[in-house]
Amino acid sequence: MADKGPASERAYLWRLHRILGLYVLGVLGFLALMAWAEQRGLSRHWIGPIFLFIMVMVCAGIGVYGRTTDAEEYYVAGRRIPPMYNGMAAAADWMSAASFISLGGALYLQGFSGTPGQPGGLAYVLGWTGGFVLVAMLIAPHLRAMNLYTIPDFFQVRFGGRWPRVIAALAAVLCSFTYVVAQIYGVGLIASRLTGVQFEIGIMLGLGGVLLCSFLGGMRAITWTQVAQYVVMLLAFLIPVSWLAYQQLGTPLATLVYGKQVSQIERMEEQLLLSETEHQVVRAYLQRGMEYERRLLDVGAALAREREAARERIHQLRASNADVGLIVAASRELASMPRDEAQARERWTREMVENYERARPLGGLPRHSQAFVGDPDGTPKEREDFQDTRRNFLALMFCLMVGTAGLPHLLTRYYTAPSVAGARASVAWSLFFIALLYVSAPALAVLVKYEVMHNLVGSHFDQLPNWIAQWARVDAALLSVEDVNGDGIVQFGEIRLGADLIMLATPELGGLPYVISGLVAAGGLAAALSTADGLLLTISNALVRDLYFQEKTRHTSPEQRVILTKFALLAVALAAAFVAALKPSDILPLVSASFSLAASAFVPVMVLGIFWRGTTRKGAVAGMLVGLAVALYYILSHVPALRTALPPWMLARGLWFGIQPISAGVFGVPAGFLAALLVSRITRPPPPQPAIRLEM
Amino acid sequence: MPPGAPFAPDLHDARHLWLKAGLLLAWALVTFVACFFARDLQMLVAGWPLGYWMAAQGAVLFFMVIVVAYCVAMSRFERQEAAQAASVRAGGG
Repeated sequence: MADKGPASERAYLWRLHRILGLYVLGVLGFLALMAWAEQRGLSRHWIGPIFLFIMVMVCAGIGVYGRTTDAEEYYVAGRRIPPMYNGMAAAADWMSAASFISLGGALYLQGFSGTPGQPGGLAYVLGWTGGFVLVAMLIAPHLRAMNLYTIPDFFQVRFGGRWPRVIAALAAVLCSFTYVVAQIYGVGLIASRLTGVQFEIGIMLGLGGVLLCSFLGGMRAITWTQVAQYVVMLLAFLIPVSWLAYQQLGTPLATLVYGKQVSQIERMEEQLLLSETEHQVVRAYLQRGMEYERRLLDVGAALAREREAARERIHQLRASNADVGLIVAASRELASMPRDEAQARERWTREMVENYERARPLGGLPRHSQAFVGDPDGTPKEREDFQDTRRNFLALMFCLMVGTAGLPHLLTRYYTAPSVAGARASVAWSLFFIALLYVSAPALAVLVKYEVMHNLVGSHFDQLPNWIAQWARVDAALLSVEDVNGDGIVQFGEIRLGADLIMLATPELGGLPYVISGLVAAGGLAAALSTADGLLLTISNALVRDLYFQEKTRHTSPEQRVILTKFALLAVALAAAFVAALKPSDILPLVSASFSLAASAFVPVMVLGIFWRGTTRKGAVAGMLVGLAVALYYILSHVPALRTALPPWMLARGLWFGIQPISAGVFGVPAGFLAALLVSRITRPPPPQPAIRLEM
Repeated sequence: MPPGAPFAPDLHDARHLWLKAGLLLAWALVTFVACFFARDLQMLVAGWPLGYWMAAQGAVLFFMVIVVAYCVAMSRFERQEAAQAASVRAGGG
């Protein structure tokens, strides 16, 4: 359509604008309808499933409408998506479950920069937006100019041979797979909350929507689904934030005015640091931690003692004809005791660390607006903490930014732009649409913290709002409020909120109708699904196009390739769902790790390949392998399970320069650059082939 | 394209490279340098702690400015180059 001249192009654009406008009206109308229905007595048990169902059906509907087996359409959406829509789709593709669900929570928990052991906070906001500067200038327009289909294609075309492409395809699969597991985990979390079904069934429900869309329509359907999902995400994020700002500050323009609350929080933090009841809570946690430490001195004896005590308790309960529920609870406690010493040691160590963590002022959270913990002019320990958080903050930011420029599923998005200038404009639009949300995320964290400190702290335990109990039932790790010092009043140190919970619980915290909770959950689902769509397509393309078909010359039509890609996609999706059902780890660390991997594997060689003619094939292979190996080695050396399984000489000794393993890209990227440069220098560039080719 | 025949990248126009270098320098200043000194920027400006505002909003706005400036400048360069190429063709033919 784009090539029929400016008039028809304008008509095409107008048609798209009209459809988008109608769609936004439709979403708002649907919200109003649901709000009305809730007022007329529609049960909460229905609202969640209805949102889930509609969300998945919209995706599936677009998938069916956009179904295609044409290769150009399936892989790059016909290269005719206007920049604004491409940017919107890239934004949805980009903002994963991690951004939408966890970012607000991470900012709440980590404040400006996180703690020495756990960097984060605003590094996520900066890292996930600043990377687009690199994408816009160094990568996207150059890749678009080459008219490719996938990222491994670049390595094939630029360096030739088979190894650059094979390694690139494997690296793309590796980092996209870690990322897609995190998305599907998010889908399961939301779907199980929305519908009350089991986590595993929740995963399958959400997966149905992803599959219908990307399976049938490929890139074309995914692009338009992502545009639709972006609208839901934006509304789902901005409505609760604006509402909280309206409640607290009298204006819905949260991002402009929340500076006032930052200062308020600072004041309240000072009060909490002086409060006697908070000190009681800290002492209670310290006591618990010490109890575990005592047990760890002699694990065998302590385990026997604990078992004996539990049996004794059951005996007593039986003897006194206590309530059956109490006896069952006591037996369950006995049954859940560690089976052997190794397990006991592991569990008690974790409990000890956790209790000591919480036995710090403000429940272990850093001061919200203070840049970096510790004090540059304080005691040696404080000085060290300051240096450590600052270094880790900068390192994480670096990895996220460079990782942005290397994530294959994002870069393929710019292949769908109609021209090189269009690719540049697409990046600018993506950054705009992403910034709309990311600038609001710190506002959300601040407003929620104010709400918690101002209203929840100091209320009575018997008057806790309903939603606390509901969420604690879903998973105790997400939320626990426990009266540690036994005074019946909530202290700040007694509240523990999980990072993944805060965004989902915000509407209830602010007292919004349940419909908005449904919308937020649908937004989280949209974020997870849209990213999963893009990732699955990237993985299956890498597997089928770049590995299977390039290895041997196979005589197949483009349609057959597309069909094979579709089935690979199905298989990958099921594998990812299986891994996600094992609940491997929190969402955010998983995602950050895959950024480090993408940064080290792709960026050095891609940048050198684009800007330095002297890069050779061997140099590219060396750069990718060394970068990836260094990052992977550093990450894996710090996985607890591997630390015990492998002999210590095989692992990195401690932290290098105090950098946390999620920022492994700090070492991987320079290593990749260095290896690519050195090996390219050694293996001199081949005789000037391009000139010969031109003459032919 | 036959496998084994690598594709050399286009020679980059020096003007484009200077533009990129300048904007990347600005980018590095806003992100790494500003964050490195964030602790020294705690003073309140218009009700905001400056270091916090810079990291939470200012830098993101600045990124947008950089990317838009790059788009505009590159489009202008491309127009100039197209005009030049056209005049060369017209002169030569």
